[in-house]
Amino acid sequence: MAKTELNRKTKTEIEDSSSLKGTLASVFLLGFFLIVTWVSVYFLFLNRF
Amino acid sequence: MNTLNAKIDRRDGKLVMAHFYVAFIALAVGGLAGLLQTLVRSGKFQLPAGIGYYQILTVHGVVLGLVLTTFFIMGFQIAATSRTSGTLSNLQRKLGWIGFWVMTAGTLMAATMILLNKASVLYTFYAPLQAHFIYYLGLTLVVVGSWLDGAAVLGKYINWRKQNPGQPSPLITFMAVVNTMLWIVATIGVAATVLFQLLPWSLGLVDRVDVLISRTLFWYFGHPLVYFWLLPAYMAWYVVIPKVIGAKIFSDSLARLSFILFLLFSIPVGFHHQLMEPGIDPAWKFLQVVLTFLVVIPSLMTAFSLFATFESFGRSKGATGLFGWFKKLPWGDARFTVPFIGMLSFIPAGAGGLVNASHQLNQVVHNTIWVTGHFHLTLATAVVLTFFGISYWLVPHLTGRVLTKAMNKLAIYQGVLWAIGMTFMSGAMHAAGLLGAPRRSSFSEYGGAAQATEWIPYQIAQAVGGTILFIAIILMLYIFVNLAFFAPKGEEEFPIGEISDHAEKTPMVFENWKLWLGITVLLILFAYTIPFIDMIQNAPIGSKGYKLW
Ligand code: HEM
Ligand SMILES: [Cu+2]
Repeated sequence: MAKTELNRKTKTEIEDSSSLKGTLASVFLLGFFLIVTWVSVYFLFLNRF
Repeated sequence: MNTLNAKIDRRDGKLVMAHFYVAFIALAVGGLAGLLQTLVRSGKFQLPAGIGYYQILTVHGVVLGLVLTTFFIMGFQIAATSRTSGTLSNLQRKLGWIGFWVMTAGTLMAATMILLNKASVLYTFYAPLQAHFIYYLGLTLVVVGSWLDGAAVLGKYINWRKQNPGQPSPLITFMAVVNTMLWIVATIGVAATVLFQLLPWSLGLVDRVDVLISRTLFWYFGHPLVYFWLLPAYMAWYVVIPKVIGAKIFSDSLARLSFILFLLFSIPVGFHHQLMEPGIDPAWKFLQVVLTFLVVIPSLMTAFSLFATFESFGRSKGATGLFGWFKKLPWGDARFTVPFIGMLSFIPAGAGGLVNASHQLNQVVHNTIWVTGHFHLTLATAVVLTFFGISYWLVPHLTGRVLTKAMNKLAIYQGVLWAIGMTFMSGAMHAAGLLGAPRRSSFSEYGGAAQATEWIPYQIAQAVGGTILFIAIILMLYIFVNLAFFAPKGEEEFPIGEISDHAEKTPMVFENWKLWLGITVLLILFAYTIPFIDMIQNAPIGSKGYKLW
């Protein structure tokens, strides 16, 4: 039991300390937001013109 | 990284503070005008003493859009250069002072004409609205003065390069140099329309003015103008914020590359402000829209780099999971939190910008209050909150005082209040704009039109937001006065970040100005030559001047 816990901890640390996966996720979220905004105004445009 | 002057020389500090005094007086005057605008537009309030709506709107646009920004930026760039490349020479400092006084004299001239109601032409001074010539002359002096300030920065940069051959210049000096070059290239356009068109015309030397050419020259300047505002905020985001939070700069080369890309792609794109204008071939509009969208690249590079800085920092403090690093950021430090609110606001601001720049979508929002909502997120939140965040350490650094715990707390309230007020005001502006409400218009029920009735609740929301914003401005002014005159004596750091150990060595190609300015000029010639020939060859007889206020 103690052994598994120890293993798990070291593993996360190695994976985490230099990982930029949060950055990747953030940039994707940002891109997604940009696209959603653009598309919604685009539909407004299609409805009006 | 070169950290030559941990503390800025006192004489340079005085020059910087002189710029800041004017900038914060502008904030007070412009903030009051802004509040009055929102109150008038709510329909519940009328201006006293025959003051016109367009008069105060001109005050607001000029003192905040032109005066506050230019003075703050010139002061900040001088400070950044003096800090990282060394104290200015006596000649450079003298140039800076002459620049400051020329800018101040110009500001007073323009302000006087606006107050006398002889120049209610808004800060864009589009022909054929015609102001008193002293207004144009005053704005010209503001630009000329800023060139002298710019010369001081460039001079110091040249000294540094001579003393350190073969080495990349300090990052923040490099950035100040890019912004100075951008400004010089851009202001040539506005100088041309003012000197060759508007001044002779307002003096009565010529009768008529070519409106399309003057607007095109204005927007040749007007778009890089917004990048001139933004790049100093990016300087703080890239170089200062990492140090404030105790992290390292993610990559020196990435930061330089993004600044160079801003220099290249922010000038040949003015047509995206003229998409609804007749007299310009749609093919050239299309070309400039494509160039505009290239600015997405350095913008997303900046976003990536900032996220990466924050995440690496958070993980070095033991954060785990996808977003655990977010909690590790120093939220109690106004020098970080206030600019961070600015960064956040740049996300909806950028999204709105993509809409504005798309030719078809521009038809939905053009000249609506959406546009005003947009640049109150870019300029009046992302940029000014970063400028406020800079002031919290730079003003005490220069005056030999410290930001106390109490002031730090007040500063955070200031930023949060700004965010709340702007959410109301800018949000309501975006929404009303999509419903067709025009910008730059005083309150009107438009003869009881049903569509105009829909806008009124949003106008009331804008007044609520405007009132909250005005309280935030008063807080800011209070903190500024405290830091300038009353805070306890001490040492406040001018934070300059160090480059991450993982970053690659910076290549020297970034300092190759022949190359970058060469490409800049080529792109400008490519984007503008044929349309200009077209405008001149097919020019109508021109317009007489109008004073419609
Ligand atoms: C108390 C805070 C503020 C309020 C309540 C406010 C309010 C407004 C309103 C209502 C308008 C549009 C009026 C119209 O189109 O009829 C406006 C325009 C403008 N604002 Fe602000 N604003 C504030 C702060 C700022 C700041 C800090 C800046 C820049 C640093 C700024 C720059 C501008 C500019 C450049 C315009 C355009 C003027 C024009 O269209 O000619 N504002 N503001
Ligand atoms: Cu633009």
